[in-house]
Amino acid sequence: MTTASGSQAEGARGLQGKRILVVEDEYFIASDLKRAFQKAEAVVVGPVGDVGQALALVAEQAIDVAVLDVNLEGTNSYPIADRLSERAVPCLFLTGYDGWSLPEAYRDTPRLAKPFAMEAVLETVARLMNVPPHPAG
Amino acid sequence: MGTDKAASARPIERKNEVLESINRIFGEALSTKNEEQLACACLAVAEDVTGARTSFMSEVDVRSGEFVRRTISDRAREAHAASRPPPGSDALPGIAPDAVTRVLRGGESVIVNGPAGADRPTPRAFLGVPLKQDGRTVGMIGLIDRDGGFRAEDRAAAEALAPAILHALRSKHAEEALRASERRLQVLVEGVPQMVWRAVNGGHWTWASPQWTEYTAQKEVDSHGLGWLDPVHPEDREGVQKVWADAIQRGEFHADYRVRHASEGRYRWFQTRATPVRDDRGRVIEWLGTSTDVDDLRRLQERQQTLVAELQHRVRNILTVVRSVFSRTADMSNDVEQVADHFRGRLDSLARTQVIVTQSASGRVDLENLIREELLSVGASDSPALTIEGPEVALPPKAAESIGLAIHELTTNAVKYGALRTPGARLHVSWTTNMDYGGVRRLNLIWSEQGVPAISVRPARQGFGSELITEALPYRLGAETSLQFRGGGIRCTISVPLPEDMAAPDWRQG
Repeated sequence: MTTASGSQAEGARGLQGKRILVVEDEYFIASDLKRAFQKAEAVVVGPVGDVGQALALVAEQAIDVAVLDVNLEGTNSYPIADRLSERAVPCLFLTGYDGWSLPEAYRDTPRLAKPFAMEAVLETVARLMNVPPHPAG
Repeated sequence: MGTDKAASARPIERKNEVLESINRIFGEALSTKNEEQLACACLAVAEDVTGARTSFMSEVDVRSGEFVRRTISDRAREAHAASRPPPGSDALPGIAPDAVTRVLRGGESVIVNGPAGADRPTPRAFLGVPLKQDGRTVGMIGLIDRDGGFRAEDRAAAEALAPAILHALRSKHAEEALRASERRLQVLVEGVPQMVWRAVNGGHWTWASPQWTEYTAQKEVDSHGLGWLDPVHPEDREGVQKVWADAIQRGEFHADYRVRHASEGRYRWFQTRATPVRDDRGRVIEWLGTSTDVDDLRRLQERQQTLVAELQHRVRNILTVVRSVFSRTADMSNDVEQVADHFRGRLDSLARTQVIVTQSASGRVDLENLIREELLSVGASDSPALTIEGPEVALPPKAAESIGLAIHELTTNAVKYGALRTPGARLHVSWTTNMDYGGVRRLNLIWSEQGVPAISVRPARQGFGSELITEALPYRLGAETSLQFRGGGIRCTISVPLPEDMAAPDWRQG
């Protein structure tokens, strides 16, 4: 019963078949994200934990939306966001800091503070994909 | 009669002598170095104008009546040196104590002339004149011995000199006190660790303390005007001049800027404060400023900010991990007590690793210590069935956290189903380190159980432990791992790179 209504709710999100890039260096967080997206019938690209691997995936794979941990072992994930932005792929930042001043270029990028509620991630990702494509496109 | 006539012809001449004497006193006031010298010079003037052979001066404290100082004239000193008693003896030879008392207590001049012509020991004559300030007697001048005794005109002359002498002495005293105060101030200014300076007109320096030259190697005169800006960091010059532009209106100057340390060859941060010195009408005459080296303080503050941010990051990450571990533990079983038991064990393991991380100064964790702590938590650290061997390896916190949790899963499994439960079974934990082909140092750990009968049913908790070892360690640490359930017990291998940049995380570096 709960499973049925749950999958109905997941289906209603509109994530089915969407390709979601997950970049997160902490295995358990990455794995939770992966499971949650798979449960919503999305296709997970990754997850990967460093900038190099992520850039390779961005170059090779079709991606509809991305979830990026800002701090990847002391380096930030802005280069990935830049590359995605060039391709008009929306992304969501996950951060562990308060008072984090994102560079101006990413000020409009949505972000969630850790520890985050998975529900919030799913909702935000769904909302990002309903945003009409870039006017430039 | 003849003497009287001479005396009547003299008043003007006498007056001139007295005036000259007063002039001499003021002349001496300028040329003598201290109060003592001036007092001696004044006594010599008084001796000359009165014809006294020797003299002394006593000063008393107005409140207590005690003598504060007694000065003996140079001639008195010579006379005393030639005869007994030595100078400094309390009683002045031959002077009736009540004469001195009358001068000091009564505040009046006294003449005591001994019998003339008699061949008697000195003194044969004494003239005492009080020194008065604001109507109160603060001392006296005693003139001793004059051929023919002291006359009224000698007393008049001495009385005329007395105020001038007292004034000269008081001025000298104030001057000396001021000089002493200036010396103290100078010692203070040159002794404090701050740089001290004076400025006019919005930051034009007029003086800098020696510390400035010592620190910047700039000559004091070169710091004058805006010269002090030269050793200031080029990026800070404009800012500090803006602060000066507002300083007069605000009545204060506060700025932090960098100044180049000549011997260290680098810029250090200084906190600079200046306060205006105002005249009686409140106008700013000049500014007195100090510059304090706050470089170490600033660096510590920056480091603290980094540490706090890093700590925040770590705390939030670990909470997220704990939540994930909990979800997984809860997913494995419907038995609440079992879930609670497993979860508590995992949480304790994470906590133990955190404790070891924070206990070591380097933030690194000794591998053997990590393994022993884990085995100790289940009471198996000194079991005869157990061998632990390997070289010393210091794990970075990240690796320690994951490996610690993996050891926990293996230990719990061994206690429940494996070598730490079965009599006669053995557990061998060993490790080596080597360089791989990429020149990266690797840790190769083997957890090997022997003598455990085959288990028909795989324990439920293997789900989490297996995922941790076969998925999480490779993902998180770039490890290569294997986990085999063989006849005789579990064999687990973990090969982890230990790159040098992991040796000391950024936030630990000073």
